[in-house]
Amino acid sequence: MHSLLPSPYLIRKGRGHLARVVGSTLMLTLLLCGTAVGQQARVSGFVSTADGTPVAGAIVGVQKTSVRTTTDVAGRYSVTVPTDGVLVFSAIGFRALAVGVSGRTTVDVIMERAVAVLDEIIVTGYTEQRRADVTGAVSSADMGSVNKESSTSVLQRLDGAVSGVTVEASGSPGSRTTVRVRGVGSFQNNDPLYIIDGTPTEDTYLNWLNPNDIQSIQVLKDASAASIYGSRASNGVVIIETKKTGRGGAGGPVLSIDSRLGVSSPVRGYDDFLILDALEYQEIVKRSYENAGLPVPENIYGDPDNPTIPAYIWPNNGVSQTTAVDEASYSFPNSLIMPGSPGTNWWDAVFGRGLVSDVNLGLAGGGVAHAYNVSFNYLNQDGTSAFNRFQRASLRVNTEFERGRFTVGENVAVSQEQYFGGMGDPGGYAEDGIMGKNILMQPVVPVYDIGGNFAAGKAVGLGNQANPLKAAWANKDDLGKNLKVFGNAFAGFRLMDGLQVQTRLGFNRLEQEQHAYNPISPELSEPSFSDGITENYYTFTEWSWANTLLYARQLGDRHNFNVLLGQAASANEFRANGSGINNLLTTDINARYIQDAIGDAASKNVSSSGGKGAILSYFGKVDYNFAERYYLSATLRRDGSSRLGPDSRWGTFPAFSFGWRLSKEGFLAQSQFFTNVMLRFGYGVTGNQAIPAGRIVSQFGGDRGDTYYDVGGSNTIAAGYRQTSLGNPDLKWEENRSTNLGLDLEFLGGAANLVLDVYQRSTDNLLFDPQTPGTAGIAAPPIVNVGEMKNRGIDLSLGYTGTIGSGNWRVSFNGSHYRNEIVRIDGVQDFFYGPVATRFGNQVINQVGHPIGSFYGLEADGFFEDDAAVTDHATQDGAAPGRLRFVDQLTVDTDDDGVPDEVDGVINADDRVIVGSPHPDFTAGLDMSLEIGAFDFFATVFGSFGNDIWDVQKEFYVFRNFSTNVRRDLLTDSWTPENTDAKYPRLDVNDTFSGQQLSSYYVEDGSYVRLRTLQIGYRIPDKWIPNTRVYVQAENLFTLTGYSGLDPTLPAANIFGAAGDIRDQYRGVDRGSYPSNKTLSFGVSTRF
Amino acid sequence: MNARNRSRLLRGTACLILVAGATYACSDFLDTPPQGALDEQTLANKAGVEGTLIAAYRALDWNNGVGGGWGNSASNWVWGSVTSDDAYKGSEASDQPAATDIELYNWSTGNADTYLNEKWRGSYEGVVRANATIRLLNKVVEEKPAEISEADQDGIRGEALFLRAHYHFEAWQMWANIPYYTEDDTDFRETNVGVDAVANILSDLDEAIGLLPATPRYGEVGRATSWTAKAFKGRVQVSSGDYAGGLTTLAEVRSGGPYALEQDFSRVWTGFADFSNGSETILAYQASSNDGEPNGNNANYGERLNFPHSGSPFGCCGFHQPTQNMVNFFQVDDDGLPLSVTDPNWNARDDNLDAAASATMRLDPRLDWTVGRDGVPFKDWGPHAAAWIRSPSYGGPYSAKKAIYESSSGAVSNVGWVNTQLSSMNIHIYRYADALLLLAEANVEAGSLADACTIVNEIRTRAGVAAQGPGTGAADIAVPIDDASITWADYEIGLYPCPFANQDYARTAVRTERRLELAMEGHRFFDLRRWGIAEQVINAYLAVEAGRRSFLSAAAPYAARHNLYPIPIIQLELSQVEGVNRLQQNTGW
Repeated sequence: MHSLLPSPYLIRKGRGHLARVVGSTLMLTLLLCGTAVGQQARVSGFVSTADGTPVAGAIVGVQKTSVRTTTDVAGRYSVTVPTDGVLVFSAIGFRALAVGVSGRTTVDVIMERAVAVLDEIIVTGYTEQRRADVTGAVSSADMGSVNKESSTSVLQRLDGAVSGVTVEASGSPGSRTTVRVRGVGSFQNNDPLYIIDGTPTEDTYLNWLNPNDIQSIQVLKDASAASIYGSRASNGVVIIETKKTGRGGAGGPVLSIDSRLGVSSPVRGYDDFLILDALEYQEIVKRSYENAGLPVPENIYGDPDNPTIPAYIWPNNGVSQTTAVDEASYSFPNSLIMPGSPGTNWWDAVFGRGLVSDVNLGLAGGGVAHAYNVSFNYLNQDGTSAFNRFQRASLRVNTEFERGRFTVGENVAVSQEQYFGGMGDPGGYAEDGIMGKNILMQPVVPVYDIGGNFAAGKAVGLGNQANPLKAAWANKDDLGKNLKVFGNAFAGFRLMDGLQVQTRLGFNRLEQEQHAYNPISPELSEPSFSDGITENYYTFTEWSWANTLLYARQLGDRHNFNVLLGQAASANEFRANGSGINNLLTTDINARYIQDAIGDAASKNVSSSGGKGAILSYFGKVDYNFAERYYLSATLRRDGSSRLGPDSRWGTFPAFSFGWRLSKEGFLAQSQFFTNVMLRFGYGVTGNQAIPAGRIVSQFGGDRGDTYYDVGGSNTIAAGYRQTSLGNPDLKWEENRSTNLGLDLEFLGGAANLVLDVYQRSTDNLLFDPQTPGTAGIAAPPIVNVGEMKNRGIDLSLGYTGTIGSGNWRVSFNGSHYRNEIVRIDGVQDFFYGPVATRFGNQVINQVGHPIGSFYGLEADGFFEDDAAVTDHATQDGAAPGRLRFVDQLTVDTDDDGVPDEVDGVINADDRVIVGSPHPDFTAGLDMSLEIGAFDFFATVFGSFGNDIWDVQKEFYVFRNFSTNVRRDLLTDSWTPENTDAKYPRLDVNDTFSGQQLSSYYVEDGSYVRLRTLQIGYRIPDKWIPNTRVYVQAENLFTLTGYSGLDPTLPAANIFGAAGDIRDQYRGVDRGSYPSNKTLSFGVSTRF
Repeated sequence: MNARNRSRLLRGTACLILVAGATYACSDFLDTPPQGALDEQTLANKAGVEGTLIAAYRALDWNNGVGGGWGNSASNWVWGSVTSDDAYKGSEASDQPAATDIELYNWSTGNADTYLNEKWRGSYEGVVRANATIRLLNKVVEEKPAEISEADQDGIRGEALFLRAHYHFEAWQMWANIPYYTEDDTDFRETNVGVDAVANILSDLDEAIGLLPATPRYGEVGRATSWTAKAFKGRVQVSSGDYAGGLTTLAEVRSGGPYALEQDFSRVWTGFADFSNGSETILAYQASSNDGEPNGNNANYGERLNFPHSGSPFGCCGFHQPTQNMVNFFQVDDDGLPLSVTDPNWNARDDNLDAAASATMRLDPRLDWTVGRDGVPFKDWGPHAAAWIRSPSYGGPYSAKKAIYESSSGAVSNVGWVNTQLSSMNIHIYRYADALLLLAEANVEAGSLADACTIVNEIRTRAGVAAQGPGTGAADIAVPIDDASITWADYEIGLYPCPFANQDYARTAVRTERRLELAMEGHRFFDLRRWGIAEQVINAYLAVEAGRRSFLSAAAPYAARHNLYPIPIIQLELSQVEGVNRLQQNTGW
């Protein structure tokens, strides 16, 4: 395959003895190159595959320098290089290749397709490395696969793309993404650190970043790889490089257009399984009352034995069916009249199709000493729920200039995001969200009243429910805007051969505004006639400055050194400003300002808040390898954080790793089967300081609604103060110690590869704020460093490339398993509860010996069959035939050995146990691709196995709390004396016990397998339209799952404690999250 | 590039790195103070101490501070009324299911625990704020001895001690077995075993009595005085069974204190600023509305659910509905004495006692200050109507009335969720009639039947001064009880012949009067328990009332364990040290 190349220049991949000889020769050559200062010359060439297809976008680098370029669409490149220099060619999906120039001016190469990316050049932290030289746990995302999805944020596309990484998100456009690298390290703030073009940021949305701008994504998974980013690297580091056209000259500007248009709809709707017919619902109500021995209400449907749809549900006297109302008395908002509905499909009223359009324009090119890459993106994504929309417009300019030994450049993105409609995922209880409200509505309630205004469940027996369409409509003009400027300017200077100094000034500015409207709601059972608006503004500014010195040297013919020294500083501050006014005189959108005359001046309210933080760092790294056989890498970093105690704010983060390339050893060197075998071992420490600023001292404050008081009895409040938080001056770094053992295999003549990593990471001195007893008051508890958490796991990826005729096919699989365990909490308690998602208490416990965010409750083991079963069972509140029966756990220790061995005969809080875990046992992604002629096919299947879901919505659609709608099969599968093997308990309005005790009945297996992406592409013959590919694509077409709720893919809740983001204690909880989208789209890519 | 240029660049680069390193190496870079917060030193002065004390008062009704439920309202309507024979939870079945569990005596459910936890947290937050005041005062006195005058030092300390005692009393009433926290405590996982909470409360009250002035500091009516503390001491003594001590203390309050009954009942629970904080107020939560707070959180927040529902001028939410049992209790006999004292069949009526039904009935006029009945004027809001009731088939036809402001009082809040149910009407925590009836109770136990009778008649005499009038405006909300405009009842208030015939009769009369006078004010459950008759009265009530309101048939029978509420499970768990809960659960839970 290398027929065009003089074989001595093969950098590696030798097969057999010859290759080893070749390798040694190469080493010698490199050594000579590294020490000589040669003549520069212009070299150009053509990069293609074996069949002559040009390889576009291949990186062509000059070894030992930072000079890089990329090939154009025709596979051509041009670069200035020492006449005795070595060119390194790399491209995703191809084996990297090193070629000595040897005085030539034209170097054409043929690249060989590779299964994996073992040889690509990757950015691993202030520097670049060949994949093969990496001894830490580093995974790359296959951008080809990533680009076949249409989500707003690139983070959502990483699901199943990288082993060891889990991703959770909802289908709401622009919603937040939870990316976790190798389990969960801390009780809070577990987002990885993102390094975008060398500039660090902590962001959990990344919606401003146009996925089409991204060149590569690397995930540094273990501490030996990540500790160079010591301070904030505890949760892994995701390195994102945007597209750059290398200087050295890729020729004239290439204009690219990538455009996609699609239609989304929810993967499933509640109308699949909720009752849609009003009289069927009446049957549920009727049985619930009859079974309780109570008279059936007649105020809606009349005679329970002969129910009919009422002419009106309101006005309603609460006693008998309303058949006649003088419609002339209708007057909004004080006298409403609502007709009865034979069956409103509320899902259909709110959810439907949404349009997705994504347009990218790019311009890239360069000359001998400059390069530029400019791109523009416009994205519009309609939510599948009414009036919900996300828009993004972004502009990116990446440039680089070279002048002698100087390199300067910048990477800047300016992005504006707009979110319309405030009804995404619920913030508090399930019923607060648009999904929950959907379940709350009974089918007899109409969407509109007789006057065309929104109707709701105003009558007795309909609950106090809000119309979900009204909620969406009222928020239709609610607008969130983010203006982001993110990037950096950099300069490099080559002090001498092999010694580079670089400085990089990063900046990150976010300006955010949010406008919201809260309408009057006269249609509610609990009506409100007060409306209002709020405005919130938030600005965030962060700068970072990193200076590095990089030295690369070879000693003798086998000793290769890389030394990095660096210093970095960064500081950020935010300021938030919120205001509101109520009782508006006009709801005109143009009058939505906070001004006295526009509403009730007395209700005007304004506040602001802010925070500041800073980090200072010093670091160094040494990489050494001996003949590419033995590798050693050592890192040391010291960070100081303003958030931590003055005497403990400096942390030291060492790491080292070893590599042993067995395939270079004699016993394997002859192997025909294995072409690369590398064993890796790494150990390191990383840190986390992601807590709110200012928590090292106690804080005091006051609020008119909390501490102020009318002590004079004159309707005037006097100022009052209280302690708002307890400080801890001894706060120190949370530390994550990780050990990684890895194996890289390339076999079957390079057609197959396997990367296997086994790891353990243990996080110590966990930063979190254990709940204080009520007797300590409500001041925010101090943040302490006591806890410890452990994750153990395996990451696996496996790939194979084959050919069919002239076509290539490729399968790659990646799988991850982790086990999370809390080892210590605060030294006093051995558990604490997570945030409450239910109406009935804490569904989540964090307990020593178990994973974070475990589900907690009584263990339900069926229903009481009859009165005898009730008598025989332990005493249980509300026990009766057909109701849930809970297990009386062993809670009494009769022999004082510290282990309970007897039951106490009473079902109470003591009997609660862990009843599930949201953590999957295994997640896996499978990519399959096939290229034949002008056609290409691609599919991704993703699966999650062994994770449990706590279905909060059962409170409603099974237990009918708040008189909500219910599942249709309650009619056929509820317990009766004749059907004791039922799925649901007996319909019984007095049974507040089965559903209002948190139990395993709420927990279901959430495993699923989903066809994530299916794409078929076609390269239009050049004679028709040059350089153009079209494709059709389907996302989330099929899902296989046993989960009975709407959608097993759930986002973690957007929830914060006083000490930070605590969503990891709130995962796998289904409380009405926006379902995933089934998206069908059509796209075109062209270059000219 | 020539050598000179190169060396210049080299030096430049080296400088850059040096500057970068040096600039940020200094420790200042990492010192970023908290933004938008005060520190303790800012408050270490007189204004800071006084402000901390204000925050301690604010916890008197602090429901908005502890979460979504209503477990910590100043009136204790959930714990004192709904669990007694006075009131149902009301509204409709599916709303506030936690309160339903509490109403039906299922107090160990996870639901009930959330409400219990609110009460616990609210009570101890009050304690924490009172202790913070004392600690800060001590600090200022030590650091700046001249900053606060000795009189103010005493006043501040006295008020804080009083509040500390009050908040502990609130917790003691609920759970009896509680830990007691003072300003020196730093371990908040103290045990409740072996703690004599009452002794601690009394000790704090005694100290407060010694420190406090007889009139409120700065003339601010919301503040505690030595008389407030003394009246509270009597309440604590009687509540804890020390009738003899209570007798002495409350007699002193009666003879020497500044308190007197309001001239008529319309001025006891009122939104009119002119009548608020009258002579009968010992301690009230000073609600305020339109005070600049944008959500109405300082209004009588804890009562906001307890207004008539959507057909009414208030809009929401129909909770805390009077029971048929209690409405029947206001019937009087021909002499104007309570029918319940003279007729064992007093509780026979099952049907709606609306204006038509009661047109000629003899009734205690306090009924229509306490209960909203169809057809009867509702203060000055027009007649109560069937449409005001949320779910009559569930919670019956009556509305709570006492804590609802008058239309012409101007007390209503302009802001907040359903602002019409927020007002500046104060919530009585302790009023003089309550103290007098406690004194009467102590008199009965001491055998002073004449004194007890005098007090009961004094209360009854005041009750007979005015009744609900047509309520067309502020002027005729209250009219004489025999006013011709009254067409919905025949109000009668008779006086007992003094002295009471015997101790049993006296006991019955005093207890009856207490229910009539203080109905729906959050005392009834605690009264029944103190009298040792809770089990008997509540089970008898449930047996009858379940026939009237079918949902009560699901109630668990009242048993001995119900005499104390269970300590919230979460607080037991949070008290854990080395695997052992320091707080011990009450018996039976």
